Amino acid sequence: MDEEPERAKRWEGGYERTWEVLKEDESGSLKASVEDILFQAKRKRVSEGHGQVRLGMMRHLFVIIDSSRSMEDQDLRPNRLTSTLKLMEFFVEEYFDQNPISQIGIITTKNKRAEKLTDLAGNPKKHLAALKKAVDSTCVGEPSLYNSLNCVALPSGTEIKEILVIFSSLTTCDPANIYELIKTLNALKIRVSVIGLSAEVRVCTILTRETGGSYNVILDESHFKELLMLHVKPPPASSSSECSLIRMGFPQHVIASMSDQDAKPSFSMSHLDSTGEPGLTLGGYYCPQCRAKYTELPVECKVCGLTLVSAPHLARSFHHLFPLEAFQETPLEEYEGERFCEACQGELKDKSVFTCLACKKVFCVECDLFIHDTLHCCPGCMQTDRTS
Amino acid sequence: MKLNIDGLLVYFPYDYIYPEQYSYMLELKRTLDAKGHGVLEMPSGTGKTISLLSLIVAYQKAYPLEVTKLVYCSRTVPEIEKVVEELRKLMDYYTKQTEAKNDFLALALSSRKNLCIHPEVSALRFGKEVDGKCHSLTASYIRAQHHSNPSQPVCQFYEEFDAVGRQVPIPPGIYNLDDLKDFGRRKGWCPYFLARYAILHANIVVYSYHYLLDPKIADLVSKELAKKSVVVFDEAHNIDNVCIDSMSVNITRRTLDRCQTNVETLQNTISRIKETDAAKLREEYSRLVEGLKEANVARETDMYLSNPVLPDEILQEAVPGSIRTAEHFVGFMKRFLEYLKARLRIHHVVQESAPQFLKDIYEKVCIDRKPLRFCAERLRSLLRTLEIADIADFSAITLISHFATLVSTYSKGFTIIIEPFEDRTPTIANPVLHFSCMDPSIAIKPVFGRFQSVIITSGTLSPLDIYPRILDFRPVTVASFTMTLARTCLCPLIVGRGNDQVAMTSKFETREDFAVIRNYGNLLLEMSAIVPDGIVAFFTSYIYMENIVASWYEQGILENIQRNKLIFIETQDAAETSMALEKYQEACENGRGAILLSVARGKVSEGIDFVHHYGRAVIMFGVPYVYTQSRILKARLEYLRDQFQIRENDFLTFDAMRHAAQCVGRAIRGKTDYGLMIFADKRYARADKRGKLPRWIQEHLTDGSLNLTIDETVQLGKHFLRQMAQPFRQEDQLGLSLLTLEQLQSEDMLQKIAQIAQQA
Repeated sequence: MDEEPERAKRWEGGYERTWEVLKEDESGSLKASVEDILFQAKRKRVSEGHGQVRLGMMRHLFVIIDSSRSMEDQDLRPNRLTSTLKLMEFFVEEYFDQNPISQIGIITTKNKRAEKLTDLAGNPKKHLAALKKAVDSTCVGEPSLYNSLNCVALPSGTEIKEILVIFSSLTTCDPANIYELIKTLNALKIRVSVIGLSAEVRVCTILTRETGGSYNVILDESHFKELLMLHVKPPPASSSSECSLIRMGFPQHVIASMSDQDAKPSFSMSHLDSTGEPGLTLGGYYCPQCRAKYTELPVECKVCGLTLVSAPHLARSFHHLFPLEAFQETPLEEYEGERFCEACQGELKDKSVFTCLACKKVFCVECDLFIHDTLHCCPGCMQTDRTS
Repeated sequence: MKLNIDGLLVYFPYDYIYPEQYSYMLELKRTLDAKGHGVLEMPSGTGKTISLLSLIVAYQKAYPLEVTKLVYCSRTVPEIEKVVEELRKLMDYYTKQTEAKNDFLALALSSRKNLCIHPEVSALRFGKEVDGKCHSLTASYIRAQHHSNPSQPVCQFYEEFDAVGRQVPIPPGIYNLDDLKDFGRRKGWCPYFLARYAILHANIVVYSYHYLLDPKIADLVSKELAKKSVVVFDEAHNIDNVCIDSMSVNITRRTLDRCQTNVETLQNTISRIKETDAAKLREEYSRLVEGLKEANVARETDMYLSNPVLPDEILQEAVPGSIRTAEHFVGFMKRFLEYLKARLRIHHVVQESAPQFLKDIYEKVCIDRKPLRFCAERLRSLLRTLEIADIADFSAITLISHFATLVSTYSKGFTIIIEPFEDRTPTIANPVLHFSCMDPSIAIKPVFGRFQSVIITSGTLSPLDIYPRILDFRPVTVASFTMTLARTCLCPLIVGRGNDQVAMTSKFETREDFAVIRNYGNLLLEMSAIVPDGIVAFFTSYIYMENIVASWYEQGILENIQRNKLIFIETQDAAETSMALEKYQEACENGRGAILLSVARGKVSEGIDFVHHYGRAVIMFGVPYVYTQSRILKARLEYLRDQFQIRENDFLTFDAMRHAAQCVGRAIRGKTDYGLMIFADKRYARADKRGKLPRWIQEHLTDGSLNLTIDETVQLGKHFLRQMAQPFRQEDQLGLSLLTLEQLQSEDMLQKIAQIAQQA
C-alpha cells in the first residue's frame, strides 16, 4: 500500500473540475462543499473517540465481502475485487496488530449465496492465505445480504458481536424479508457496519441504524482504506455486556535445540485441523494448564479452552485504554508564538492549530491526525519526559 | 421562534428556519401590504406551506380588519389534509406561546363523498352517486313532501343541522375532514353542510381549486366570501389548465342520446303533472315572469343546477317568453338537440367561433341567442318544479344546457370544434363537439376581481412572467426563490449523445430511429447499474413509451436492466398504476431496487413524491411537448398569439418545460434529500429550453453538464452519488441553509437573504 499516494491518481479520479471547486468557495452562498464537511467529520471523530467509554477488547468480527458481478467494476484499480482484497489483507494485519486477542472470520457472497471463506480464528496467516486465493475467483450474479448475515448470525449465535459488510452491489437478492433478520440481529446485539463501494443503499442505512453500526460510502481508494481502518479500533462495548473476568494463560516459549537430548519433536495442536504442511517441531508454546503445544499465539487452547496470549500482545492493546487526549484547537489568527509544527517542522498554514494540553506544543492538522490515529502518544510529551 | 418580518411579529412553530422561508415571508408581507396579487416560486421541500400559513395568520391577528379570511386552495385531498396538519402545529405553538385561548376557526372542505356520515349514502363508492343520493334526501321539495308524508325518507343529519346547526356557531379550532365528521357525528349534524355554512365565518378555509374556479360550484360555495380575503393557490403551475377545463364542454353522440331520453322523461312528467297539478306549472310560469331574482331560496341543496357565470343583468331580466312554459321549453330543447345531432353528422372537421355557431343555429332552426342564454337557469327551475329527485340521471341535459348558456354568453375566448373521429383512430366514427375555452383568464377573472390578494405559488412557475400574461392580471410581486444548500444535493445533467455520438432526442423525425431508442436504452441500463434503490423514468407519452419498451425488449436491453433492478410501468388504468407504485416502493425499501417507467403529464408526474430512496434519479426521456396536432391546442395557440402576443413556440416550450421540471422535481423533496436529474434530449441544452427551467434547477446546471455522452453521465453520476452518501448531519446545515434565530438576525445573513429572492 506504500505506493498509494494520498488521493487516487489524477487521471483515475474521473472528471474532476478543479475550477468549479474554486468557484464554489468564492461565491459564498454555496461554499461548504462536501470535502469541508468530511474534514469536519474527521476532526470530530478524533475528539469523540477519546471519551470515557468502555471498549470491547476481545472482538469477534465477521467480514462479509461482496463478490457479485458489480465487483468487476474498474473504478478502483485494477478492479474492485482485487483492490478490496488487497486492502483486506492490510486490514487483517492491522486488526491483529491492534487487537491481538481478537478473532476474525471472512465470508463472501455471490450468485445469491453466501460462502464461508475462513472460519472465526485468531490467526492472521490463514486469513491472508485465503484472501490471496480469493483474488482469482470470478464475480458473478447478485449478492445476498440476507443469506450472508444469516450465515453469520444463526450458527455462531451469541459469540459474534460485530459484522462488517463490504458492499459493492446496489441490489440484494433475499429469500425472505430482511427486516425480520434485522430485528433478530438487533435482539442478539450484533453490530453491523457497512462500507459501500458505489452509493447509499436504503436497506444498508436501515440495517446499520437499527443495529448501531456505521455506514460509509467510499469516495476513492484512499478513502476506502481510511474507512476500513476505522474498524480496526475496537468499538465501545454495549452497556449491557457484563464485565467478566477472563481466564488467560501466558505460555512460555520453550526453545529447544537439536543438540538437547531430552527434546523430542512434536506436533503442534494447531495443525490438527489444518491440512497444510504438518511438521514436527522442537520448541513452541505450552499451555500452562494442559501442556498442549502451539507454535503461534494468540490462540484458544484446543484441549482446555484457555485463551493463550503473550504479555506484549496484551500490552499493545493498552493504548485503547489510555487514549491520548484530544488537542485543543485554536484559530491560527489567535495563536501567538512560533509558526511551525512541532512534529513535521512545517509552517502552520491551516485555519487552526492544535495544542497538546500536557506539554503545550503546537501541531498542524495533519500531524494531529497522525498522532491520534497512529502514534497514540504525543511526541512533545515524550521529549519533555526524557529531558526531565 | 418569534420572527420580526418587516415590523410584523410572526410566530414560527419550528426552532430552525431556512433562509428562503424568511425571504418568502418578506415578499408575502409586501404583497399583503400592497393589497395586490403575487406570483411566488419556491422549490418544494423548503417549507412553503408553513411560511405562508404563519405569515398570513400573523397578519390576520395583527390587522384583523385588513385581512379577514385566508382561503387556501390545494389540489388533492391528501394535500389539503397536510395543510391542515401544518396549521394545527402553528396554532398549538400560538396557544403555547401566548397562553391565550385559540379563537381561530380553520376548516377543510371537500366533496360530500369525503364528508358524508349518513350510513347508507356514505357507503356508495363514486362521488356522483353520493351526490345524487344526498340530493334525493335533502332537496327542498323532498323535505316539503316529508312534512306531509312522513314516510318519505330524509337525511336526519341534515334535518338536525337545519334545525339547530345554523344558530350555534362551531367552536373555534382546527378541523380537518375527520374532525368535521367526528364533530358531526357527535352533534348529529351533517358535516358537509355544516362546513359549507361555517366557511362563511371561518378564519381559514382549506379546499380544492374547483370551489373557486369552477363557476358551477364557485357560485354556490364561495359566493359570500368576504372581499378582504387572501386567496392562495398552492401547486398552481397548472392553474391555467384547471381554469380551462372548468369552462370547457365536450359533447359526444352518447351525451346526445342520453339527453334525448332525458327530454322524453321531462315531457312525460310534464304531461302527468299537468293532469294532476296544473297549478304548479302555472305558479312556476308566473315566477319566471318576475325574473330569476328568487334564485337563492332553496338553492343550497339543489346544487348541480346552478348556472355558469351569468352576468348579473341576466338575473334581473325575465325569462324570455318563448321558453317560459314548460312545454315550450321542452320543445325548445328538442329543437336544440336535433340541431346538435345534425351538426355531429359530419365527415370532416369543422371549427367555428361562438358567433358563427349562433348565426348558424338561428338560420337552421330559428333559435335566438336570448333563450339559449337562459337555458341553464330555465332547466334548473323546471327540474325543481317537476320535483325530480334523482338528479344524477339528468347530467346529460344539464351539460347541454350549460353549453347553450356558455355559447350564447361568451363571444370571445371560446371555440367550437366538431371532429368526426378521434385523431388516433381515424377510421372509427366517433363524432365529438368540443366547446373549448381558450382563455384561462375568463374563469379566474372573478377571483382576481373580487379578492384583495391572490397568491399563486408553486415549486415550478418559471418563467414567471408568463402566468400574469395568460391569466391576465397584474401582480405586485413576482419572485423566485432558490434553495440554499449546505451541499449541492441536486445534480441536473443534460445528456445529448450516446456513446456512439448519435444525438439523443425525441424529436418527431428521429424518435423512431433505431439508434436513438438504443441509446435511450443504454442510458437507462447504465444508470440502473450505478443508482441505488429507485429510478423514475418519464416518457413524453404513453404511445411513445410503449414503442420504446417494446423495442428494448426485442433488443434484449430490458433483460439486462432487470438484472440490476425490477421494472414497473405506469398505465392508463389507475388501479394498475397504484399497484405498480406500491410494488415499486416495496422494491426500493428492501434493497432490490426498481425502475418506474411513467409518463409526463400522467398521474405519477403530478401527485406522487419520490422522497429519498424512492427516487435517487429521475430520467426525462425527451421533451414532453403536448400533442401539437390537436385542433384544440392549435386554436388555443392562435388565440394566445392574437390576444396576448405569446408566440406559439414560446408557449409550447413553456408548457413542455414546466412539465419536465415537475417530473424531475419529484425526486428532491427537501434539503436532506438528494437526486440526479437527467434530461435525456439534446434540445434541453439550448438556451431557450434551459432558460425556462426554474431558477433552483438552472443554478446547478453548469456548462460542464450540458450535452454529455452516456459515459460522461455515468462518471458524473457515480461521483455525485458517492459524495452525497457521505454522512450529513443537521449541524452541517446550521448557519448555511438552516438558521437559528440568532443566526437569522446577524447582519451578513440578512444581506445574503436579500439575494435569495429574484424579482422577475
